[in-house]
Amino acid sequence: MTANNGSIGKRTLAALAAASLLVVAAACSGGGSSDASPGAGGGSASSAQPSASSGGSSADAGTVEITVWDQPTPEDPTKSLKEQLFADFDKANPNIKVTHEAMPQGTNDREVFVTAMAGGNGPDAYHAAHFPIIGDWVGQGLALDLTPYWDSYADNAQYIESSMAAGRIDGKVYGVPNDMYVTGLFWNKKLFKDAGLDPNKPPSNWDELVSMGKQLTDPGKKQYGLTLLGMEWADWWFEYYVWQAGGDLTELQPDGTVKLTFTSEPAVTALQFYKDLKWKHKIVQNNVLQSYQDNMNDIYQGRAAMSNGASGGFGDFAANGLDLNDIGFAPYPVGPSGKGPGQIGGAYWILNPKSSKAKQDAAWKYVTYMVSKEAKERMLQFQSDNGIFPNLLSVRKDVDPSKFTQNVPQDLVDGVNRAASDTHLEYYLKERLTPYVVKAVQKALTDQNADPAALLKTAQDAAQKEVVDAYNASVHK
Amino acid sequence: MRTVTAPKPSARPRWMPVPRARRRSVLLSALFLAPAVVSFLLFKYYPLFQAVYMSFFDYKVIHPPGRFVGLDNYAYLFHSTEFWNALWNTFAFFLIYFVLTFWVPIVQAILLNEVKFANKSIRVLYLVPTAVPAVAGFLLWKWLYNPDYGLLNYLLEFVHLGPYGWLNDPAMAKWAIVLPAFFGTGMSVLIYYSAIQGVPIENVEAAKIDGAGPWRRMRSIILPSMKFVIGIQFIAFISGVFLTFDPMYIMTGGGPANSTRTLSMLVFDSSFKEFRFGVAGAISFVMFVIIALITYLQIRLSRTD
Repeated sequence: MTANNGSIGKRTLAALAAASLLVVAAACSGGGSSDASPGAGGGSASSAQPSASSGGSSADAGTVEITVWDQPTPEDPTKSLKEQLFADFDKANPNIKVTHEAMPQGTNDREVFVTAMAGGNGPDAYHAAHFPIIGDWVGQGLALDLTPYWDSYADNAQYIESSMAAGRIDGKVYGVPNDMYVTGLFWNKKLFKDAGLDPNKPPSNWDELVSMGKQLTDPGKKQYGLTLLGMEWADWWFEYYVWQAGGDLTELQPDGTVKLTFTSEPAVTALQFYKDLKWKHKIVQNNVLQSYQDNMNDIYQGRAAMSNGASGGFGDFAANGLDLNDIGFAPYPVGPSGKGPGQIGGAYWILNPKSSKAKQDAAWKYVTYMVSKEAKERMLQFQSDNGIFPNLLSVRKDVDPSKFTQNVPQDLVDGVNRAASDTHLEYYLKERLTPYVVKAVQKALTDQNADPAALLKTAQDAAQKEVVDAYNASVHK
Repeated sequence: MRTVTAPKPSARPRWMPVPRARRRSVLLSALFLAPAVVSFLLFKYYPLFQAVYMSFFDYKVIHPPGRFVGLDNYAYLFHSTEFWNALWNTFAFFLIYFVLTFWVPIVQAILLNEVKFANKSIRVLYLVPTAVPAVAGFLLWKWLYNPDYGLLNYLLEFVHLGPYGWLNDPAMAKWAIVLPAFFGTGMSVLIYYSAIQGVPIENVEAAKIDGAGPWRRMRSIILPSMKFVIGIQFIAFISGVFLTFDPMYIMTGGGPANSTRTLSMLVFDSSFKEFRFGVAGAISFVMFVIIALITYLQIRLSRTD
């Protein structure tokens, strides 16, 4: 290359580099400026003002356009009703244009939502802020403080108290309950009958759970008594056993800080029992680390006689070939504490704190329509008319699903109601503490010689140092 | 006799104008290159710098960048059992992948070079499985490993072995995750095969005349000629192993007892499960430094060699 060519090449390259840097700088500043814009930093309804960048853009000045990720999938059996509900809302609210979108594809809904919000592409209203996650999302600024809306909401007294427990944080309301479920013991009556057990009498305590589990386990038929969840969500089902033993994995202190109780006697007792189910009593699946879906498949195919069930999941059992008359549902067997509370789970509607005030107002109107008594009862009626099994637990006091369950065995309805009479939320800071608890549970399930107390002590020491100390310090700041 | 030497093209004075056609050609080249360069900067360097930037903050995705914490996220890593466990697992996977898989396509390519019958068909057969989505392959292996219904335990039952909990045993899970890669060497085989095809046939024939046997020819001619390709493949291998995520995520979710949780899984979990984006940025940067260091050492060693 000649000197001259070289110099021209350098100049050209320099120009290119400058242009590239400008593009990069523009991309960088794009992210930064959005934060600096007046309408972007709104953490509450009152502070989120319309702005040119995020405002209620519309062709028609009087129309507000909002986006909601609630487009039903083609195979959704309630698709036609949902579309009818959408159309009715549009008709009643001509100034609000709702764009219903399917959630973008991704590894899981939580990751997709957080990524979209971080990229400024989140929906204006979102209906799947799960109970255990909403606290973290509020901490990250992903959910609008709905208190001003809630206080003037005519139906705010119609929600059952347990449905509000996770969505009310520091006295402020961040979520409107969309749906909820309660967990309890599922059993297969047919397998009970085949094993010579009374199909209508589930185990009522840990001793019965073990003795019945042994009768229901038949390695020759690859049939076992009880499913355990030992994969990366292992803490989810394990915590039920801690509750049954009379404790919990964390305690929320009055000042907002968290105290770990992994080494408390109930937690150690629960892990010892969990371990014994696998190694001593041998009434669980061989592959204790199998996925949740594999557990479900074992239930559907009659390989597992007992498992955890949820009030919202009977439809799946029926859809996968189980006869509803062969399904039993009851509160969990009680542990040493004499208690067997069910877990309350579910999801909230939340609003986007980055949307303009006009969009937030419109989104609030849409959300309250979708959770209204009328909409919920229309859904239950549609499900009843079309043989779709409903969720037997309602977030609203004025909506009674049992009125729409003429095709459902009464003992299932009764079982749900009994399970719902004593409930528990998942342990506090679960999302962050999961790796520590799961490690201890998996070790107990995969190492016959493991000492549960030592495993939980190791887990607690690490979690205290690496998660809780920092969390508690941030609470005090 | 006086000789006249023609001036070298590069000796042209700077003030002399560059021919218009050449200038156009350079500009055109730059123009065509620009999208790729800009994309590379945007999608490679920008995320890298952004991750480093995030690592100095208690990063908030909605109200970035959050509170400045200096080197706290790095300090956290150094006393985090999760981080050290994931780092150890990552290096363990690196060694297992190296021992179990890296040499396999080289050997297969050398053997393939000797196969004259249906060579083209065999090469096509090597290529076909690359069209199968990796996720489907991992799910298939997960099923094969199932202690109750998996094919592996079913076959072992005939020789009165097992059942083994392939993915349930912390000591065995890493090997079980790597094993599918032993069989999935298709594209690498073809890359090595094409490198062997580039070895001058005269050298091989001369070695034969000099009495070199197959082993000697491979050691002294074939392998040295493949050194460059092996080096490039090794660099890709290093970053591939350090960034690998799918097999662990699908087959074990990081378990049992965190025995297959790698740094890339920790980045994912820190970001999307624990919302500690600053910590995730710090882990990403540490991973970048480790990969860069190993790559640098590998290049230095191969030059010395």
